Amino acid sequence: MASLKVYIVRRVLLAIPMIFILLSIVFLIMRVAGDPVSAILGGHAPQEQIEQIKQQLGLNKPIIFQFFGYIGQLLRGNLGRSLIWGQRPVVNEIWDHFPATLELSISSFLISIIIGIFTGTVAATHRNRFLDHTFRLYGIITYGLFIPWIGIMLQLLFGVYLGLLPIGGRIGTLMEPKSITGLYVLDSLLTLNFDSLVSAIKHLILPSVTLGVYLSGIYTRLTRTHLMETLEKDFIKAARARGLSERAVIYKHGLKNAFIPILTMMGLQFALLLVGAVLTEITFSWPGMGTLLFERITYRDFTTVQGIIVFFALIVVTVNLLVDIIYAYIDPRIRY
Amino acid sequence: MVQVKYSPSKFIVSKLKSICPRKGTEYFALIGFIIILSIILMAIFAPFIAPYNPIKKVGGILEEPNGRFILGTDGLGRDIFSRIIFGARTAISVTFLAVIISLSFGVLLGLLSGYIGGKFDSIFSLVMDAIYSFPGLILAIVLAAMLGPGILNTAIAIAVIYTPTYFRMVRGLVLSLKESLFVEAARAIGAKDRTIVFKYIFPNVISSVPIVLSLNAADAVLTLAALSFLGLGLPAPTPDWGFDLKAGHAYLASKIWWPSTFPGLMIVILTLGFSLLGEGINEILTPELRR
Amino acid sequence: MKARRMGIFKVILVILPLVALYLTPATASASTTKPIVLGTTDKITVLDPAKTYDFYTWEVFHNIGEGLLKYKPGTTELMPGIAKSYRVSSDGLEYTFKLREGLKFTDGQPLNAAAVKWSIDRVMRLKLDPSWLVSAFVKKVEVVDNYTVKFVLKKPVSFFPSLVTTTPYIPISSRSYPADKVAEPTVGHYGPYKIKKWVRDVELVLEANPDYYGPQPKSKLFVVKFYKNAATMRLALETGEIDVAWKSLRPIDIKSLKSKGKQKILEVPGPYIRYIICRCNKPPFDDVRLREAVAAAIDRDRICREAYKGTVKPLYSMVPMGMWSHIDAFKQEYGERNLELAKKLLTEAGYSKEKPFEIELWYTPTHYGDLEADVAAIIKESLEETGLIKVTLKSAEWATYAAKFIAAGTMPIFLLGWYPDYIDPDDYTTVFLHSKWSPDMGVFYSNPTMDNLLDKARTEIEIKNRTELYKKVQKLMAKEAPVIPLFQGILTAATQPNIEGVILDPVMLLRYYLIYRK
Repeated sequence: MASLKVYIVRRVLLAIPMIFILLSIVFLIMRVAGDPVSAILGGHAPQEQIEQIKQQLGLNKPIIFQFFGYIGQLLRGNLGRSLIWGQRPVVNEIWDHFPATLELSISSFLISIIIGIFTGTVAATHRNRFLDHTFRLYGIITYGLFIPWIGIMLQLLFGVYLGLLPIGGRIGTLMEPKSITGLYVLDSLLTLNFDSLVSAIKHLILPSVTLGVYLSGIYTRLTRTHLMETLEKDFIKAARARGLSERAVIYKHGLKNAFIPILTMMGLQFALLLVGAVLTEITFSWPGMGTLLFERITYRDFTTVQGIIVFFALIVVTVNLLVDIIYAYIDPRIRY
Repeated sequence: MVQVKYSPSKFIVSKLKSICPRKGTEYFALIGFIIILSIILMAIFAPFIAPYNPIKKVGGILEEPNGRFILGTDGLGRDIFSRIIFGARTAISVTFLAVIISLSFGVLLGLLSGYIGGKFDSIFSLVMDAIYSFPGLILAIVLAAMLGPGILNTAIAIAVIYTPTYFRMVRGLVLSLKESLFVEAARAIGAKDRTIVFKYIFPNVISSVPIVLSLNAADAVLTLAALSFLGLGLPAPTPDWGFDLKAGHAYLASKIWWPSTFPGLMIVILTLGFSLLGEGINEILTPELRR
Repeated sequence: MKARRMGIFKVILVILPLVALYLTPATASASTTKPIVLGTTDKITVLDPAKTYDFYTWEVFHNIGEGLLKYKPGTTELMPGIAKSYRVSSDGLEYTFKLREGLKFTDGQPLNAAAVKWSIDRVMRLKLDPSWLVSAFVKKVEVVDNYTVKFVLKKPVSFFPSLVTTTPYIPISSRSYPADKVAEPTVGHYGPYKIKKWVRDVELVLEANPDYYGPQPKSKLFVVKFYKNAATMRLALETGEIDVAWKSLRPIDIKSLKSKGKQKILEVPGPYIRYIICRCNKPPFDDVRLREAVAAAIDRDRICREAYKGTVKPLYSMVPMGMWSHIDAFKQEYGERNLELAKKLLTEAGYSKEKPFEIELWYTPTHYGDLEADVAAIIKESLEETGLIKVTLKSAEWATYAAKFIAAGTMPIFLLGWYPDYIDPDDYTTVFLHSKWSPDMGVFYSNPTMDNLLDKARTEIEIKNRTELYKKVQKLMAKEAPVIPLFQGILTAATQPNIEGVILDPVMLLRYYLIYRK
């Protein structure tokens, strides 16, 4: 097991420069055009006022100073303060918005897995017949769907024409459940608040389905491929010979083997999940990290944007790391 | 004597059928190719196909699809059908530009990095990996917001996030080829490094590019659409599918569905075209063992 | 057998929640007092008068707080607020306010002269975004006695009473707000409402303040719901989820709601204006003829009709309609539109069909709403109708736009908007036309005659005289056209049919405490 520890350490060490690089890119790029003070006060307060506030925020210092100052701060675990409005700590801003994104991500992810595995299984078990081709096509099509478009079509159908579901926001007026985890569905369940639960779910459906369908395609193909391979194997024939029902064969033995590749794919798809979440949030006015990021870029709120990038980078790196470690744990050949 | 009628389409299809192992998949590449070709033709011949000037007001505001405007008009009275057709220009040009830029830089850097190795390779790999593993669109958003609107700027923002794809692929191939026999032989006869890279390694690398290119183009179309949707792509009033989709979103609540539906549909179709093409080529080039 | 049962069970598992979904009401279960719910796409930026400089947060402060003076609803007449009276010294440099006695902030701290002084000093000391509204005019604040406070001004300024109604002058409690940094406590204010709950960017729950000296708010509980998207807000209004939709419904939604006729639509000319700025100190617009040509060729009617679907009105002066001293200066000078004059001026300046006047017109695509690109497109077409102008449209995202024109004066001609800080013609003129401040706006206009007029109008106390002076200012402005007004916004609120008390006035700050359900 010593080599596993070494592997983990090496991967963690490798992660740090990656975050650093991303941060540098974003740091420099952002300062190219505009500043947060002009963005807020431009055209409304006297130029003196603007310059003076820029001074207060340290934005007139040479870029190198600002950069190393920021890095130093970062290493002490301080993400700094927003440069606009109330200058709240970036950590608070992120914390306010993260649960929304988390809730959306989890529910979309679950939907994508369920749809993906289901369709993949059907495709595999109806090999080369109509259903197989349909779901294969499904796999390809969903990969290329433009999330805002799916979202808008769903909003049109279910929100506007049928009037069944809300087209934006997270929950109805005054209906937030008591905040425990920040995930409305979970909090509603935990506090046994039925009204909140219903409202939260109603608001969650369309965005999750949009993102979930988009992500499911890859799982369809993966499940189909691996299940097909597995079902050819000898031990399956043996199980069938033993008289096991077809369903048990598929679910118990077949899917279990497909599990590992699916798991690793989940990890690799993670960045895609985040990207999809950003677009979904903006389409559905979902108050998560995507909305926050977009808003703050508009106002050139350097520190908040940098903080979000660092946060995203950390999550991505962590997830990739976990996937790699699990893989390495299972397949000792990977560690070197 | 039996006269066999020569039919080019039948010929292509039968050729494809013989290559593609899986029934049904032989059509992927074909359909994908047809879609892309149609859209390219749409882009090239836009002024001849489009009934109206896409940036001028030609009808009433938000007219439903009717005889004069088959897809209706948008919020400024412009013909949506014409905007869709001219939008193909934007989509194709930015996508191609972005793909060419990322391809060139990615392949070049990948070749060099893989061949030279050492510190140079470590640094470049690190930077490329960092960009590659990070959610691309987010980085593209930051870049596009800073660079500002414009065809070139948008193409650059997109190209940056796809360069690592080519870089990694090429570098990997180079690394494996570097130790192969024919390269050793080339070195033995005294070939210069530059010759080795470009004459020997490059041609072998090139064959893997088309699939990646296709799927990459599909991604680029989506990224461009996302950037325009967020208002970061091209300056108005340039016809752009993503931008028009966003503009149409505002009219949703009034049951005015046509300004959003059609541009979005085009995005999906073009992406699908590239995806199918990529998948199809994949099928052709890497046949599964027949069962 | 087992498998079949599993199948049915799964089906029930799916159907049951769907049924449950439709049996439950969409909104909060009935409570004793149903609150009025107002929806808005604006947001509270920061709940601190020393830092906040946006209209919506100011509106909130006018409901949870009150200034020394306030405007009579529906008018631009001032009336006593926290101060029951005030006196001006003969030289116009000292304003002494007598406060109402016995008032307390919602955190218990007494609201007296010392508290007022502390609040104002804090704004000046922190030197944040809106502080210039105080520091540019006030030299110091003195406590005369427990309930009398005196403002000593740097120079006599006749609109000081209007200034005093603005948010930076609203007193806040030193018990809840720290002396030297920005904070956002939900207590420590004094006004008709107090904050019950605030979830940032989601909702603001207000309840009546029992300690308020004046009449209690018409609705005991008032909720503001924040929307990120006008389409969602419009649907919320139609489904009854909100009672009032305020800032900002899209023109197309306003039109559609009007034609549906179910909700009440209230409109009033607002003080929000949009205009074109010409950079006057460098070519090409240092030539006044070219500015005049643009002013003559602009088609305001088209912009209002096509881009905004009639929800804004053409504006012919930088002083908005509804404000005293307003005259349709540009209409008097150029008529509604005068293509012939424009062509004449351009030809005089040496341009022709072969050699057209090339302009780079700048705009920013999202900051002023997403119709901006359309506005720019219409302006381009209107100008090109002369046959002697060629317009290239350029755009930059707001942050770049703001930094570019202020910092460097790079844009020769560009679109901009203005919300007033205080309700006075001075706020619409001086900042663009006075040589001292016009560079800040990218105008770079300098004319001693104009400066004189503006300076005099500032210090003159009699409204009659000030009106004459501002009329002269507007006439001169139309002649020289350093800025060209385009249109004026209309304030629109859409409410459910049984909602009353929504009073829209040029102050643009909705008074929640007047709204009630019939």
